[in-house]
Amino acid sequence: MKINSVKIITVLSILASGLWILGLGVMVQDQFFHQATPLPPKVATEAKTNDRTLHLVALGDSLTRGTGDETGKGYVGYLVDELRTKTKQPLQLTNLAIKGLRSAELVQQLRQPEVERQLKQADFVFMTIGGNDLFQGGEALRNLSFARIQQTKAMYLRNLETIFRTIRAVNPHAVVFYISLYNPFKQLNNGKTTSEIVRQWNYDSAEVAARYPNIIAVPTYDLFELHVNEYLYSDQFHPNKEGYKLIGERVASLITFTKGGEK
Amino acid sequence: MTDTLVVQNLRKRIGKKEIIKGLSFTLREGEVFGFLGPNGAGKTTTIRMLVGLIKPTAGRISICGYDLHRQFSQAIRHIGCIVENPELYPYLSGWENLEHFARMLPDLPKERLHEVVTLVGLQNRIHDRVRTYSLGMRQRLGIAQALLGHPKVLILDEPTNGLDPVGIREMREFIRFLAEKEKLSVLVSSHLLSEIQLMCDRVAIMSKGEIIRIDDVEQLLKEQARVYWKATPIERAKVILAEQTAVLGEKDGMIVTFYEANQLAAWNEKLVQAGIHVSEIQPKLPTLEDLFIELTGGETID
Amino acid sequence: MINLVYNEMLKIVRKKRLFIIAAIIAVLVGLFTYAQFKHVQEVQKRLGTNDWRTQLQQQIIDTQNRLNSSGISEEWRKFLQIRLQQQQYYLDHDINPSAPGAPTFMRMFVENSIELFVPLMVMVVVADLVSSEASGGTMKLLLTRPVKRWKILLSKYIAMVLSVSFIMLSLAVLSYLISGAVFGYGGWNLPLLTGFAVHGEELNTANVHMLPQWKYLLIELGLAWFVALVVGTLTFMLSVIMRSTAAVMGIMLAALISGAILSNMVSSWESAKYLFMVNLRLTDYISGTAPPIAGMTLGFSMAVLAVWGLAALIVSFFVFMTRDVY
Repeated sequence: MKINSVKIITVLSILASGLWILGLGVMVQDQFFHQATPLPPKVATEAKTNDRTLHLVALGDSLTRGTGDETGKGYVGYLVDELRTKTKQPLQLTNLAIKGLRSAELVQQLRQPEVERQLKQADFVFMTIGGNDLFQGGEALRNLSFARIQQTKAMYLRNLETIFRTIRAVNPHAVVFYISLYNPFKQLNNGKTTSEIVRQWNYDSAEVAARYPNIIAVPTYDLFELHVNEYLYSDQFHPNKEGYKLIGERVASLITFTKGGEK
Repeated sequence: MTDTLVVQNLRKRIGKKEIIKGLSFTLREGEVFGFLGPNGAGKTTTIRMLVGLIKPTAGRISICGYDLHRQFSQAIRHIGCIVENPELYPYLSGWENLEHFARMLPDLPKERLHEVVTLVGLQNRIHDRVRTYSLGMRQRLGIAQALLGHPKVLILDEPTNGLDPVGIREMREFIRFLAEKEKLSVLVSSHLLSEIQLMCDRVAIMSKGEIIRIDDVEQLLKEQARVYWKATPIERAKVILAEQTAVLGEKDGMIVTFYEANQLAAWNEKLVQAGIHVSEIQPKLPTLEDLFIELTGGETID
Repeated sequence: MINLVYNEMLKIVRKKRLFIIAAIIAVLVGLFTYAQFKHVQEVQKRLGTNDWRTQLQQQIIDTQNRLNSSGISEEWRKFLQIRLQQQQYYLDHDINPSAPGAPTFMRMFVENSIELFVPLMVMVVVADLVSSEASGGTMKLLLTRPVKRWKILLSKYIAMVLSVSFIMLSLAVLSYLISGAVFGYGGWNLPLLTGFAVHGEELNTANVHMLPQWKYLLIELGLAWFVALVVGTLTFMLSVIMRSTAAVMGIMLAALISGAILSNMVSSWESAKYLFMVNLRLTDYISGTAPPIAGMTLGFSMAVLAVWGLAALIVSFFVFMTRDVY
């Protein structure tokens, strides 16, 4: 009995050694002598699921990501909380926002097959974009150049057009909420100028949105108009928790559910 | 009588210090050969060289005609040994230990295992783990493994170390049995003269890496044994004894002379005739220390 | 020779070390299975879906956000960059790199244990292979048999190799059986990608090709075995040189742990790549993770390990054959 256990283990070990050496052999053949043929990308073919789940997709920059909200929820989080009180349907949120994203990068992101697939399933799309284009991380404000802002805006509007067009092409039915800009620099000494620029920016963006069905430009400019400092995070740029709550509530108020359907 | 183990001019140097300084001796078939010396004399180092654990710096060791260095396997096959304590694998049983060492010998029939177990009398406990053995049992198991391969030479380092008096006597009888009945040459090291005296035919006395004397045990003892006489009046007794033999001195009020077994009675008669009152005649074996002082001329054990 | 190897295997088995190791592996696999199970549940709850594409997309977005954060270390940024590109590649080719199932768990377990856990287990068996004979005094009995010293050491070495194989086998079998109870036993044919090459911050996908998971696993286990063998050989050498098993363990432990630490901080000390302990993560080359030091490749790492192993083997035999035993 005792002798046998030694024999069994020895035999097993010898067999295992053979197996591992075989593994090494396969490795050498595969890693060092493999002629690779490039793999063609393959897209998941999956039709829009007909389950009862409401698919929410959030796109854009740090605002959608929720930077500045210590709970990490951001306006999307509060928005979803609100929606949960309004409907019993299960909600599924996909937040694809990336900090610091500019409009050109969003155009790129929308080309990814997986992002496209997500969009296809979406019932609601929320997005913020343009903040980084306009403020360039605060750089543009230090030396306000009207000409340069015009130039930036023209490019931005072209990108926005592409973004909306892409979304509509992928998913003709989803309701898109385009959340426009507020002016975080209102309290600074050139606040008047910046406010004007932001207003104009929002107006032009809303014009682009209006060209597409079911794309709604949601203003936030007014929310921050009176008490901008109370609603800003310590970086004086992103909203704080209260600020995000305001935005979330405003967007939520636009969505109503009728029995068994959307809108 | 054939020579089984021949050692010629064996030397070992460690660093700059030579610890074994040219030993030469021979073991004959069927004899028990004693290695006597204090701790640190180089007994264990010598034994380790004999079994190939330590490489000698110079000199030759041949076992049954095979050179230990050049024909290691053939030579070592004829040696069975226990170096220092009989250390075996405590987590294996005695039997498994024997099997383990049997596998290292070429073509050993299984019956031999039973033979050696019976020889050392371990039949009852052989399947218990060695961990549970007493020192005496381990010693016997050690001898069993040493005898496995039918060795011609058995080397035992301090075989009675740590045994109780009964164990010591059994071990002694067993060693004599192996030499006389099985015709083995047995090399035994010890630092106790009494043990060597009881077990060995010949003895080599070692001190500081050298053999200072090799001789028959009896011869050596005869030379070195003394008789102590307690007699009154002591001065008269000395004169009379001096006529018969050499008076070596006086110690604790007793006269010391050589020991000659067949003469003692006659000397005593002379004393009695001279009207001397003899109250004690004490033959005494030399202690190892005496022997050393005697042989080396004043060197003490340290 | 077979008898000698059998002797050594007998001693290893009867010391019960292999069973202890199997038990440790079983416990750890159980723990990790539970942790993984919890993790899967948590992700599912957070995202409200078990669609892997959504999960992977979310991971990519998270990584991108982290990349855009300030104060991120250069090395970490590079690592994330590579991983990002790889995740995107998997997503673009509609391949799920972490589809649930016992084989996937095995793969992750092997990838995560190759650097520290497997070497530690090997060490437990090998550390006292020779040193215990020296300290227990049985070395004297072994060396006074009519067997040449190199044969005795070789038999011990072979027994060491066999034990390493056995440890890897129990790792594979136990992780499969235990994790399968939770994740299911299927998934052997799942396609996986390999052949990524890292050049600076870029992931070169020119050589990328698909492998079924069983083949991928076989390769990874083979590499883990190779690593274990080299670590085993180094431990073996120390065991020959030193009498104290504790000292052997201490030195090996220090080396292994320093390797784990060094891999995270040596990118600027280039010659560190010749140390054996920063080359242990061979499976990273298969899965396409950035190596700790730029310019390290699978071939390089295997060569470094082989040289260390070979040197250790030569030293072991030289010391063992010429040494006086006291």
